[in-house]
Amino acid sequence: MFASTPSRTATAAELATRIRPVAAASARLLPVAEPLAALLPDGALRRGSTVVVAGAPGRGATSLGLALLTAASTAGHWCAAVGLDDPGVVAMSELGVDLRRVVFVPRPRGAWAVATAELFEGVDVVLARPPARVAHAAARRLVARARDRGVVLLALVEHRDDWPVPADATLELTDSSWHTDGRLLERRAEVRTAGRGASGRPRRSSLLLPGPLGAVASAGG
Amino acid sequence: MVRLVVLWCPSLAREGSRGEEPRRFTEVLDAATELAPFARPVRLGVLAIPSRGPSRFFGGEQAFAEQLAAIAGPLVGGGGRVLVGAAEGLFAAVLAARASVFVPAGSTPAFLAPWSISTLREPDLAAACQRLGLHTLGKFAALEEARVLERFGTDAVRRHRVARGLDGELPGLRDTAALRRLDALRHRDEPQGVQGGFFGERGAGDARAAAAAQRLERQLGVGAVTVARLGAGRAPDDRAALVPWGSAPASAAHRDHAAPWPGRLPAPSPAAIPSRALAVSLVAEDGTRVAVSSRGLLSAPPARVELDTGRPRSIVAHCGPWPMSERWWGTSRRRAHLQVLLDDGLALLLRAERSRWWLAGVYD
Repeated sequence: MFASTPSRTATAAELATRIRPVAAASARLLPVAEPLAALLPDGALRRGSTVVVAGAPGRGATSLGLALLTAASTAGHWCAAVGLDDPGVVAMSELGVDLRRVVFVPRPRGAWAVATAELFEGVDVVLARPPARVAHAAARRLVARARDRGVVLLALVEHRDDWPVPADATLELTDSSWHTDGRLLERRAEVRTAGRGASGRPRRSSLLLPGPLGAVASAGG
Repeated sequence: MVRLVVLWCPSLAREGSRGEEPRRFTEVLDAATELAPFARPVRLGVLAIPSRGPSRFFGGEQAFAEQLAAIAGPLVGGGGRVLVGAAEGLFAAVLAARASVFVPAGSTPAFLAPWSISTLREPDLAAACQRLGLHTLGKFAALEEARVLERFGTDAVRRHRVARGLDGELPGLRDTAALRRLDALRHRDEPQGVQGGFFGERGAGDARAAAAAQRLERQLGVGAVTVARLGAGRAPDDRAALVPWGSAPASAAHRDHAAPWPGRLPAPSPAAIPSRALAVSLVAEDGTRVAVSSRGLLSAPPARVELDTGRPRSIVAHCGPWPMSERWWGTSRRRAHLQVLLDDGLALLLRAERSRWWLAGVYD
């Protein structure tokens, strides 16, 4: 403010050009933690899109789903977790999730789809774990509603076929192994990514999930 | 001592599986508050109102009580009946409501006399008095205060005063946890600070999220929508709690969760914590059960773990135990945590407590 004094109009014009793309992008995309950006088609969570996170129990799918909430929640976007019966709240905070921005519906008692749809009205990202394979009609309705409301739906399933309709991106944990020195230190997880359209070619990448400090990190290679 | 009118709704006194009782009771409370501004809940299903003002306004205590029962009856629902009574002091007034009696002014001690000693909510004292043949409040009240102090201690003196009708407040008579919850339910139109945004401000996004959470809670029942609260502690299940949406904010001591806490389990923490205790069996190579000694050492290296169902799974690595001996001055709690890595790559956190092993978390 004291460094230079350009004319008032020039400053305003400069500001406008600077702000416009950022504002538009922030309206469309929600940030993700830096190591996860490479996994997603836009390098972020696109509003209105559906992302499927698949992995066998204990392989780290829960951690991956929760890790996708970190940057969005710290940027002030509201998130919800539906059907995660027993979320590890301490693990969430170690991953870097801002817990003040997360609403939980741990046991929706058979009404997970209703709960998810209702939360679309109020939050920006919904991480939902359906109790079993999802019916085609229910999935289609939720995808359409998420697109309509501009909400990101993260579906957490055991196998990618449990989500019956095409998703904008599918992150599948194919393998994971812990690195220990006696105690658990970090877990290297192999993620197979697929998307639709131009980003549709499957790719493989490695993550540390969680990394040595509890947060997600990229494993290189 | 203040004379109180107590309204008792027996069908709302306990929260059922659908969890609608607290909400119904808040409706009763709101209606009673419109009738008499000083209506206050005592616990779930019970509320107390100072008698003097409303009695004058409605032309007598009985008339006021009839009004109160008439508006509360339909709100309780399901043909639930309501009981009203009045007496001096909260303790006597609650008993009066239970018996649907309007105790005449000044005769509260006489009203209390025939009630059982167990109404004082102190099992030890009740047992001791029963042994002495003091089965009723009246007999207990007839003891000299000095004798009560000598024999039972200061806490019993307080209850003695209650039994004599000199005091109306008894520890445990007001259910503070339930009151806090009712308070949160009643003031839900302005949810409290926990979910506040940056710098405590509430933006449009916060209001939208709050509205959605409230709609959902109305559909699924109280307590279905929760927020996380992170506190201090050693094990993951001590440190974290899911509390109902709109609960009072955590105390300052609980907010400082990043402060060092000796003996805390190291990061990473398990991403899934069983909400129910799940027993597992942990055995050594020779098939004997692995135990934790009083010095916090394992009796043998664990070789296999068996979750409640299914085949035993081999352990390839383990770390720990981290022994924790807490509250040795009172209800002591001894636990030890153990990390195990299974041959299929699954990592579990196990806890030894009450000479058994439990599943404390899954590193999912």
